[in-house]
Amino acid sequence: MSTLRAPGFPEQDVRRRAREGGASVFPAAGEYGVTVFGADAAEPRDRIDAYRLVPPVFMPRRLEKLIDLGREPLYADVSLESSFGGFDAPLPLYLSALGSTRVAAAGRGLAGQAGRLGLPMVIGENVAPVSGFRSDGEHRALLERIGAYADTASGGTGGVVVQQSTEDANAEVWNHVYTDPSVLELMDSGRLAFELKVGQGAKPGLGGLTMVDEETSHRLEGQYAMERFVPGGPVLRCSSPGTFTAEILRQQIHLMRNNYPRARCWVKLPPGRDVAEAAAVAWRAGADAVTVDGAEGGTGWAPGVFLDQVGLPLGECLRRLGDPSGTLLASGRVHDGVRAVKVLALGARAVGLGRAALVAVDEDPENGLVRLVESIALEMRFLISALGKYAIGEAGPEDLWDPSEPGPGATRQASSGAGESPVRAGEREVFA
Amino acid sequence: MTTQQDFRGMPTPVGRPVPPSAGEPPAPRDHLMSPKTQAVLKIQQALVAGARELLSSEGAVELFQPLIGPVTDPGARGAKQVDVDYYGHKYKLMASAILYKQASLVAFDKVFFIAPNVRLEPLETSSTHRHLAEFHQIDVEFAGATRDDAIAVAERLVRQAVRTALATQGDALRVVGRDTAKLEALVEQPFEVLTHGEVLDRLGRPHDQGTEIEWEDEELISGGADAPFFIVDYPKGSRGFYDKEDPARPSTLMSFDLIAPESCGEICSGSERESAYAKIVTRMRETGENPAKYSWYLDIVRQGIPGSAGFGIGLERLTRWVAGLDSVWQANAFPKLPGVVSP
Repeated sequence: MSTLRAPGFPEQDVRRRAREGGASVFPAAGEYGVTVFGADAAEPRDRIDAYRLVPPVFMPRRLEKLIDLGREPLYADVSLESSFGGFDAPLPLYLSALGSTRVAAAGRGLAGQAGRLGLPMVIGENVAPVSGFRSDGEHRALLERIGAYADTASGGTGGVVVQQSTEDANAEVWNHVYTDPSVLELMDSGRLAFELKVGQGAKPGLGGLTMVDEETSHRLEGQYAMERFVPGGPVLRCSSPGTFTAEILRQQIHLMRNNYPRARCWVKLPPGRDVAEAAAVAWRAGADAVTVDGAEGGTGWAPGVFLDQVGLPLGECLRRLGDPSGTLLASGRVHDGVRAVKVLALGARAVGLGRAALVAVDEDPENGLVRLVESIALEMRFLISALGKYAIGEAGPEDLWDPSEPGPGATRQASSGAGESPVRAGEREVFA
Repeated sequence: MTTQQDFRGMPTPVGRPVPPSAGEPPAPRDHLMSPKTQAVLKIQQALVAGARELLSSEGAVELFQPLIGPVTDPGARGAKQVDVDYYGHKYKLMASAILYKQASLVAFDKVFFIAPNVRLEPLETSSTHRHLAEFHQIDVEFAGATRDDAIAVAERLVRQAVRTALATQGDALRVVGRDTAKLEALVEQPFEVLTHGEVLDRLGRPHDQGTEIEWEDEELISGGADAPFFIVDYPKGSRGFYDKEDPARPSTLMSFDLIAPESCGEICSGSERESAYAKIVTRMRETGENPAKYSWYLDIVRQGIPGSAGFGIGLERLTRWVAGLDSVWQANAFPKLPGVVSP
């Protein structure tokens, strides 16, 4: 049994999804007919969880679909096919970067399953500088992950996104990948992207942190800061987060587009207070996608105070981003269909799976991610169809109700009277 | 029999001998014994002699470029640098002389290097006819010079180099079938100067913020040119941190390229340089570089280097144009096309 733990994360729910796939969307089959169910009164964990998806009664879009199909539409008629950041995907999901921690040794298994699913996969910073560019005997090297993905990817969807942070630039990750013959097929089919890592969710303002052994620490000394806590114990390797201004970000994106014209350009932002301004700079400079990682996201090692008390939660990031002027991708504790649909309704074009993917492959290295994604896809279809919509991109803020604020319906009725007014007896339609 | 292996279409880099296809280098022995190659190399020697003569007459000191160093020019589009293990330190093979040129100006006001450089260019460049993984550059830098000064030097240098080739290598030029009257006419008229924006207009391309001119477009506009010409005012975001940003026009660099006619494209890149420490560090960040890597260079810059302007001329590219060759590999005795394993 694995020792992977994900405290504060719905780990058991994800493990069940990884085992049972679509069946996990419902209570255990044995409960059918013998248990009655109702809403769980547990406190919502964050703003996104607090939102409720609220289907309307009247559904003109469903009527359109009915006319189109010549029969009543069903959840299975919802198209989840998506297109984001230059890639096509069977559903609006991608695999977030998992960094170079030991937990991410599952990277190769994940890459294979992401390839089978045809989902875009981001390969995290430090995989090359820490684990090596080619295989060093461990299944972690960058090209092995790309190879594992490409070997199983057959459908022409998805793609590989290679991240580079400020300190990775020393290792010239992008130049190495861009000139390597093994990525030619991905590049020729337009399925290679580079992601500029401006920051990360779990520890905005800090660079990457990884525990390495003493021997590795000597190899990396001079390139990174090292913290030694226990003599002979593991060493904390600390990257610089890199310095950014609007001009630095703009020019780095221009450089990416000029230097790697055949790779798509993604930019990953930390959940900073100026996230909307930074995203706008990135889109204007030509980024194909901007990914925003909420403070609740992240798979890597971070000081406890950063996890609890630093950075904007994803819900607040999305509020500040408003109606995005470019392709927005978002991640942060996404583990089921409803959180995914809410994040999409709040403006994201696709959502990233981070911890959920790690837990899923921990539960079942061969098929865990595939089953998790099956369960999320089924839930999404149920939810989108319940909203009277049949394409994933149609979910919008009108589908959400924030219990802490008066809903849009209530506002309209109170202020403008645009809603249907109460019908008095004398105004009822009369039938002869 | 060939010893070359072509990795470009291969999923993994395992050797696979392939026969040379049309437009690609033949076996090394055949290449060296070819009368055409021999003529080209003689023309090249004359071009180098002409360049040295011009630069010496202008008072420039020729220095020898280091082969390896802790860092090298990061300014090459998408090209990978080559690592060398230097007593446990990761060193780089030189991609250009730029950092050493600027540093050398604390010793001499005018310097130049003629040296090999290595850039592992993207595989797609193997078909551009103008990229070699190993090539030679005439690298020139003058302290206190403006961009216009550097442009004038580059023009004089190219003219002098071509005149020397015409004067001394008539036989070789005949062997390669070059129309010498046409060549002379091309090089004796003043070289026009166009802005980056004007070139985009001529090409009918949108002024996309911060983008380079595509290689294909450069070839196209080169094909329609009557003489070599300069393109100035490239946008920031497309060049190295050392090219100076125009203080009067932010985001515009005081850089230039020299474009050869007859579809040869760019044969020289240059600029007025940044020399202020804070500006250079900021520009390093804008180009995604980590200043810590450049400590030896930044130490010198911090203590003060003169403002300057300079350029690098690709020797094989210049030779290709002067000799009227189809491809740049024909101007190298031991050509290395990107992705092709060769001696």
